[in-house]
Amino acid sequence: MIRSANPLALEPRYELITQVLRSNILGGQLPVGLVLLEGPIGALMGTSRAPVQAALRQLQIEGLIHRFEGRGFLVGPEGAGAEPLRHDIRDLDLTIADHVDGALQTRGTWKHVYDQVEEQVASCQIFGEFRIVETELAQYLGVSRTVVRDVLSRLQERGLIRKNASSHWIAGPLTARTMREKFELRAIVEPAALRLSAPHIEEAVIEAIRDRIETDASLSWQALEDALMEHCIAKAENATLVEMIRNNRLLLSSVDRALTGLGLPPDDIALDQYRMLFHLIARHPIDSAAEYLRGHLQIMARKNLARMKIAGVLSEMRDFAPYLIHQ
Amino acid sequence: MRGLLQLLFGARMVRANRGECRNERILAMNDRPAELAAPPGVAVRTLRVLGTSVTLLPEVRASAEADLGIRIDYQLMDFLSCQREAAMVPGSYDVYEQCFHNLDIVWFWGALQPIDTHRIGDWDRLSPLAKEGGISNYAWRGHGDAPVGKLYVQPGGFLGPKPSRQVSMLPTVHNMDSFGYDPRVFGSGEDGQVSWAWLLDRRAKGRIALVDEPAIGFFDAALAAEAAGEVQFANIGNMTIAEIDRLMALLEERRRQGYFCAAWRDGEEAARLLHAERVSVQSMWAPVYGNLGAMEGHFSEAAPKEGYRAWHGGASLSRHLSGGQLDMVYDYLNWWLTADAGAVMARQGYYMSTPERTRAALSSDEWGYWYDGLPARGDICGPSGKVVARAGALRAGGTYLERTSRIAVWNTVMEEYNYAARAWGRFIRRINEAAT
Repeated sequence: MIRSANPLALEPRYELITQVLRSNILGGQLPVGLVLLEGPIGALMGTSRAPVQAALRQLQIEGLIHRFEGRGFLVGPEGAGAEPLRHDIRDLDLTIADHVDGALQTRGTWKHVYDQVEEQVASCQIFGEFRIVETELAQYLGVSRTVVRDVLSRLQERGLIRKNASSHWIAGPLTARTMREKFELRAIVEPAALRLSAPHIEEAVIEAIRDRIETDASLSWQALEDALMEHCIAKAENATLVEMIRNNRLLLSSVDRALTGLGLPPDDIALDQYRMLFHLIARHPIDSAAEYLRGHLQIMARKNLARMKIAGVLSEMRDFAPYLIHQ
Repeated sequence: MRGLLQLLFGARMVRANRGECRNERILAMNDRPAELAAPPGVAVRTLRVLGTSVTLLPEVRASAEADLGIRIDYQLMDFLSCQREAAMVPGSYDVYEQCFHNLDIVWFWGALQPIDTHRIGDWDRLSPLAKEGGISNYAWRGHGDAPVGKLYVQPGGFLGPKPSRQVSMLPTVHNMDSFGYDPRVFGSGEDGQVSWAWLLDRRAKGRIALVDEPAIGFFDAALAAEAAGEVQFANIGNMTIAEIDRLMALLEERRRQGYFCAAWRDGEEAARLLHAERVSVQSMWAPVYGNLGAMEGHFSEAAPKEGYRAWHGGASLSRHLSGGQLDMVYDYLNWWLTADAGAVMARQGYYMSTPERTRAALSSDEWGYWYDGLPARGDICGPSGKVVARAGALRAGGTYLERTSRIAVWNTVMEEYNYAARAWGRFIRRINEAAT
């Protein structure tokens, strides 16, 4: 594998976006009350919405931004009473450190388009089986067939697509069996990783998260799941394990985004379970948190199996990206 | 209170003698109290009911409106649209009338709120079929989505069979379904060898129809395939992907050979196939036996040796309800367990979860025919007053207890529902394309 000279190029894209937004909020370029929307930020950074969403959740956990009645987030802590300011973020003069900018640029051509394709390919799968047409994908992205092949082989590596007997690229269908297996795997490996990460978890970070849970009513369980991943599980000193966990979660998070997009209301029980989980991490031996996490994941598996059934009553005539052919 | 309401509204028709087919009663019941004079200044409260043609009947509405002094708006949809609406737009209805088997989506979408059984006056009278999982200790439990498994609210918001004060859906109407067949093709069936296999039988090739619903007709086909010895399921109520593939491959093969003439979505469509004499065997719903047209006398209800495919309906509460609106909805739920509602259901061949209440509103001949498996002494009328069974007729399968004791499988939304529903949809589309 060729490693970039810029170490930041290896960081997940959402971390780079988080860094840019954080430093511009702290530096005042993004004023208190400014409405932050996923689309324009994605356009500015040259990424899809998924990493932007993850970055915004991270900043919400840090208390730098908060949800409000409208779409998106407002800069500043909740309760500051700021009026929503609507400006296109692209018109503001953001400071982007050279090394971060470089990292965003030097991720390789395919990485610029990868996130978007990954999201589309993952989220279609509860609706059935799709064939990916390479030429359509190249045209859709405006890139060469070589770049498309890089994207597809990465998707295959991550277990999102496969080749069928006639050498066509196939995505899905996401079956209940796949879903159950992925959650079973999570329930085995994530508590194990949490145990391994215990020596590296920073007490102050956990306390800050717990504080956010109590003060920010708009916090979602998905934000806390991300926080658990980044501030606890990912700190396990076993890169293979952490990578496996990330890959295994890909389809599940995209299903979750697809269901949320269909209007799935917030899950207060899950939120409550994360409150308990961070309490256990902060106050009790890590085994109790690990065991609780296992139980939580089993509960989420059952709920998701039930929720997924909504796809069976939705019309199959939905809009999918043009390179995805419903089989 | 009820007497007072009747006085106030002046709308309560004089009840016909129980059980007689009196057209004037039926006409009166189709009137709506809201259109009748409410006392000046008193707004008639409105209850919005989302459901299917199983329970959203004009006779039910008229009776409930008159008894409760409210106006009821119906939002009637097919099974799938109804679930979608219930999950996605919980603000659009107060009561959701559907079946236990497809409760998962709507419940786990957070669209409903639990029912407090302490507010259901007749809770203790409810049949053990829904509350305990079987009509007796010796009754078959049935594979798949038995209502008891979705009834009680468990810790963490789950649904399960362990009794608790809160339930997801108030169990009401239910039935044991099978198929109908032409005795000229299959024989009288008196030898007790009536089998689901007939739905895939060469003798009826080209004259077979299935109900197009992936939680219902899918299991008619599955029971047929297993009875015919073509496919085996480890658990017919929760098939694996491989089992679904094998079943669909068999159905597709039979379709190509020209076995199926149609698929239908509601009782009207099923009746039209009979009126046109296009079928020798097909999935059936109870009310259609009262509407056989040209096939009358040549189409019998099966009591299959393998047992029935059962379903259980009920009513649930939208999550937005509170205060006075919630009180009104509880009145309506309690009304569902009264004699009148049960009588309307009985007259189209459905059973009620409070049969002893229902009995009070049926004539002894009606009770004997519908519940006790006795020959009709006189003509038996449906809810609209039309004769649905002639004197001397006998309901197939025997008494309520006998029929309820032989449940092979429940209507079910399996774990692999999405996969099965898509495969089923493709199969049905090909049948319909060939038919047009």
